[in-house]
Amino acid sequence: MSALLTVEDLWVRFATRTGGTVEAVRGISFDVGRERLGIVGESGSGKSMTGRAILRLVRPPGVVSAKAITFDGTDLTSLGERQMRRIRGQRISMVMQDPKFSLNPVMTVGRQIEEAYRLHTGSSHREAAAKTMEMLDAVQIRDPERVAGLFPHEVSGGMGQRIMIAMMLAPGPELLIADEPTSALDVTVQMSVLNIMDRLVRDRGMGLVFISHDLNLVATFCDRILIMYAGRIVETCSADRLHEAEHPYTRGLLNALPDLETPRLALEALNRDPSWKEAPSVDGFS
Amino acid sequence: MLMASPEGIGVRGLSVAFSGELAVRDASFAVAEGDAFGLVGESGSGKSTILRAIAGLVADWSGEIAIDGKKLGRKREAGFFRNVQMVFQDPYASLHPRHTVDRTLSEPLILHRFDRVEARIEAALEQVGLGPSFRFRYPHQLSGGQRQRVAIARALMLEPKILLLDEPTSALDVSVQAEVLNLLSDLRRERGLTYLLVSHDLPVVAHMCERIAVMQGGEIVEELAVEALRGGTGSTGLTPYTQSLITASRGYATQLEES
Repeated sequence: MSALLTVEDLWVRFATRTGGTVEAVRGISFDVGRERLGIVGESGSGKSMTGRAILRLVRPPGVVSAKAITFDGTDLTSLGERQMRRIRGQRISMVMQDPKFSLNPVMTVGRQIEEAYRLHTGSSHREAAAKTMEMLDAVQIRDPERVAGLFPHEVSGGMGQRIMIAMMLAPGPELLIADEPTSALDVTVQMSVLNIMDRLVRDRGMGLVFISHDLNLVATFCDRILIMYAGRIVETCSADRLHEAEHPYTRGLLNALPDLETPRLALEALNRDPSWKEAPSVDGFS
Repeated sequence: MLMASPEGIGVRGLSVAFSGELAVRDASFAVAEGDAFGLVGESGSGKSTILRAIAGLVADWSGEIAIDGKKLGRKREAGFFRNVQMVFQDPYASLHPRHTVDRTLSEPLILHRFDRVEARIEAALEQVGLGPSFRFRYPHQLSGGQRQRVAIARALMLEPKILLLDEPTSALDVSVQAEVLNLLSDLRRERGLTYLLVSHDLPVVAHMCERIAVMQGGEIVEELAVEALRGGTGSTGLTPYTQSLITASRGYATQLEES
């Protein structure tokens, strides 16, 4: 499988007020093909920073460095901000956790999708309007005409997230980075949102980076998984073999989860071994 | 299940309205003393509202709420809070940011005129697995899991018999969740506490509780023993909604196969 995106030796560092440096991502390398790649880890593992760093969305004082971030033959680290803007949103899109904070509250959702589409494709009003209806329909919104006229506060969380996905996918990106896209949603709505992303990967050959803390979800939804701890990749595996994972951190996470079928008196507590932090990052190449 | 032990919490025909709109409709259930009872459902199903109504945090309710067989009125008296305490979802929001752990824990003791404040605070910190070094820290100096331990210690200061737990671990990472759930299980065993636990996470509720009520759209659609949830979605007698919650808790692919 030819890789869509190859990340080599990625670091994200933050300077602290006391003059020190916090390393959120510490030299990780991986690639993404036309597949569903899951990145799992706990808060502070660096998984979200990895997603943001690819699109250069890490805010100062965060500093991103990498040997190379190669997308379709181009090294993204060598691009200027103007060139980067042509990639961001158009060829690589990002969906974040909470639609409440990602949508403009004073513009109807239809206009927002149209505006985003026209910006990226330079198409006419009429084309953009037609595309908006098509995309809302694709994310299974039943009455797209009516929904397009609503403001973000008038839609539910699940619908808001589907609208975000419609907006991000309208320009037909080759790669979608989804950071906890369903964590704020109820389980039943979660499934329909995942279904939509799943179809896009299969039908359009899109690559998907799926960032999540939910091991069961990633194991059942993705093709391949990177497990991150303290800014490094500690283990990689194909998703259907997550339950055979060997690293004590991954095992610890799996055992810490309550399981409906096998009741236990106490859950296993995770004893963090300091050596996990120091072990070199595992390559996440497919 | 036999109701051998006396009733800890009894709720009959409880309805709660917010500006005319019913958030909880005619809910009834009973929790025996020493039991753990779970309320599961999605957001807006009314599960937290029931908890808040029992705690006296909701003004407009009708029906009957009884603690230890005694019906509650509109206002909660001081004695009620000695017996019933609540732990909230977000440990970042439920602790006063400018009060030290010491002040957070001593306040209920002073209000209720307890003696031996010092000794009680030390014992409480010990019991929730925080050393004495945590006593004079502020919430911002604690991790999410440590904060939730402080919130649990605060709820236990007055030595209540009943804890109302509102999504106590949903803001925490899974490894920290495991520690806090273990702590809650241990405390219940040691002190014979009665739990009413609200969560959207079916495996968490099943791990902690003996009985469960499933809520949807403000109503209890099903009440069952936790064993009935096991053995797959094929188990008899479950409503389709409960089955969909079980399926969803297993992840994505199973969902496709079965739909």
